[in-house]
Amino acid sequence: MREIPVYLFLGFLESGKTKFIQDTLCDERFNNGEKTLLVVCEEGIEEYDPSLFSGSNVTVKVIDDEEELTSKTLSKFQKETNCERVIIEYNGMWQVNSLLSDMPKGFVLVQCMMFADATTFINYNQNMRNQTVDKLRVCELVVFNRMDKAIDKMELHKIVRGVSRRADIAYEYPDGTVEYDDIEDPLPFDIEAPVIKIEDTDYALWYRDLLEETDKYNGKTVKFKGICAYDNRMPNDTFVAGRHIMTCCIDDVEYSPIVCICKNKHNIKSRDWVMVTGTIKVEYCKFYQGKGPVIHIEETAITSAPAQELATFY
Amino acid sequence: MTKIDIFSGFLGAGKTTLIKKLINEAYKGEKLVLIENEFGEIGIDGGFMQDAGIEVNEMNSGCICCSLVGDFEKSLEKVLDEFNPDRILIEPSGVGKLSDVIKAVKGVTSDKVILNSYCVVADAKKCKMYMKNFGEFYNDQIENASCIILSHTASLSEDKLHAAVELIREHNKDAQIVTTDWAELDGSAILAVMENVDTLKADIEELEHEHHHHHHEHGEECTCGCHDHEHHHEHHHEHGEHCDCHEHHHEHDEHCTCGCHDHEHHHHHEHGEECTCGCHDHEHHHHHADEVFSSWGKETVRTYTEDEIKNILNEFNSVSYGVILRAKGIVKGSDGWIHFDYVPGEADVRLGSSSTIGRICVIGSKINEEKIAELFKA
Repeated sequence: MREIPVYLFLGFLESGKTKFIQDTLCDERFNNGEKTLLVVCEEGIEEYDPSLFSGSNVTVKVIDDEEELTSKTLSKFQKETNCERVIIEYNGMWQVNSLLSDMPKGFVLVQCMMFADATTFINYNQNMRNQTVDKLRVCELVVFNRMDKAIDKMELHKIVRGVSRRADIAYEYPDGTVEYDDIEDPLPFDIEAPVIKIEDTDYALWYRDLLEETDKYNGKTVKFKGICAYDNRMPNDTFVAGRHIMTCCIDDVEYSPIVCICKNKHNIKSRDWVMVTGTIKVEYCKFYQGKGPVIHIEETAITSAPAQELATFY
Repeated sequence: MTKIDIFSGFLGAGKTTLIKKLINEAYKGEKLVLIENEFGEIGIDGGFMQDAGIEVNEMNSGCICCSLVGDFEKSLEKVLDEFNPDRILIEPSGVGKLSDVIKAVKGVTSDKVILNSYCVVADAKKCKMYMKNFGEFYNDQIENASCIILSHTASLSEDKLHAAVELIREHNKDAQIVTTDWAELDGSAILAVMENVDTLKADIEELEHEHHHHHHEHGEECTCGCHDHEHHHEHHHEHGEHCDCHEHHHEHDEHCTCGCHDHEHHHHHEHGEECTCGCHDHEHHHHHADEVFSSWGKETVRTYTEDEIKNILNEFNSVSYGVILRAKGIVKGSDGWIHFDYVPGEADVRLGSSSTIGRICVIGSKINEEKIAELFKA
């Protein structure tokens, strides 16, 4: 089966998605007549003008209802158009998972960009944080357009970094100049230390970094406090330790644990708070259903709960 | 009794600006509490609130993306107990459902509180786009509002504003709509609309009432129903003055030029006489029932010239529109708002104060509503 690359464009209404896609499809370097399916899930003030596209093999399809966005619909569009690639302009109010959880076989997400109006983003983020978090999590590049010198880059930067350390950030000014974000965010722990000590307040940040850049932790020794879970389906030398992480609000609190394996049988019970010290090995683990970071325990010590039980990205 | 006013609306619609305007111009002298469930764009600053003596109760510590905070009812009851205000203003999350907020307010069991108004502030320029793309929560706000206050209308063309109103009407037939630029309006005019005092329906009822009033008090009034006549009539009784058009009421044989007077007159005094003119019928039935008498009202955002209105009112004398007995309205003019009053043979058109939306009311018998609407291009 041939792979169909998917280019996904996210952002609220009026964030500049249409304009960017229109410009991209007018650029011969991107559009030289390739059979392209453009799926539009949002129809704002800007409209597409296919007569200006540099290649004429673009078919536009509209999806009005989030429930219509299924692998079935997308496959149907793909067959109808026989396209070799797909561009999706997403609806700013739909959760990305509606798409990602049900993509046709062969569709491969190759690029994901998010657009944001710098003049309204801070307000939108405060009031619709579930939507911004959802989009920032998956995108590789965030473009803040309509940027103004009066807007504090650091504030935008922090919103993005609060969710993703991975996404590149660009600021686009009305005169067309683009500035790339080069603000560094040193991690609040030293990963070169003989034992990486994770403070109670930094667990969420560390856990995210561990998932995003797992390999750099291979062979490293860590020490952190976590609440444990164990039941008799696990081998008696295994338990999991972690924290409940809140990304956005009480609705998205998730227990985010790491598998720990002891040298011998342990006597840790569920809901014990334990100070864990051990060495991370990235290896196959059935609890991850694949490869993942497994902590080979050197020491465990029963301890008390941290001052704030919920771990957050501050 | 504490009144509760709810101001819903998407981010950037202008809720905060509207609340500030009402505080300055309409809520003067009242003890207010503002409950905010949203991080405002401009933010009502503490200083302003303090000067105005307003308590601000923020509910946005914690998470506000999940529509309404669970303890809303409790916190409302606490505010009632603690401050016993004249009015509580609630600014819910812009992405929340208005129906949820209404339900929560109605859940407050205190008999000291009344849900006074629940409006939505909608950006006239963007409501079409929002309706299409936002789906449920946005339409919920429009559909459940008792009053829809459009913002940013000044920079919108008449046609686009008209289209926005039509679109809103598809979702909410009954809500009051404010289309006039806020800068032209006093806050108290907006509040009157929010509180359902100033409405098209009230205008029509008032017009109809003038009519009834006439008949029941004097029993021998003209169906044209205009106050002027009534006044003349009273004068006549009280002071024995004579006016050209009412003399017949007393002399029982005089005919007036308005064409319905005499019939009415005859009717009143001769009890049961029929005549062929529409207003006689109407008149007759009106005493007993309203079924033939009809009223037509329309809200409009159209701009007219004074001459246009004069021409339209002149057209009313033609029978093809039915027998129009009375018409009244306020519409946007090119140089201010045009107020008009019409009784057969007499039209009064003048410039006056702004209205929250253009309104036209017509009363008559066998009136051709379609043709009248066409005449007004409303």
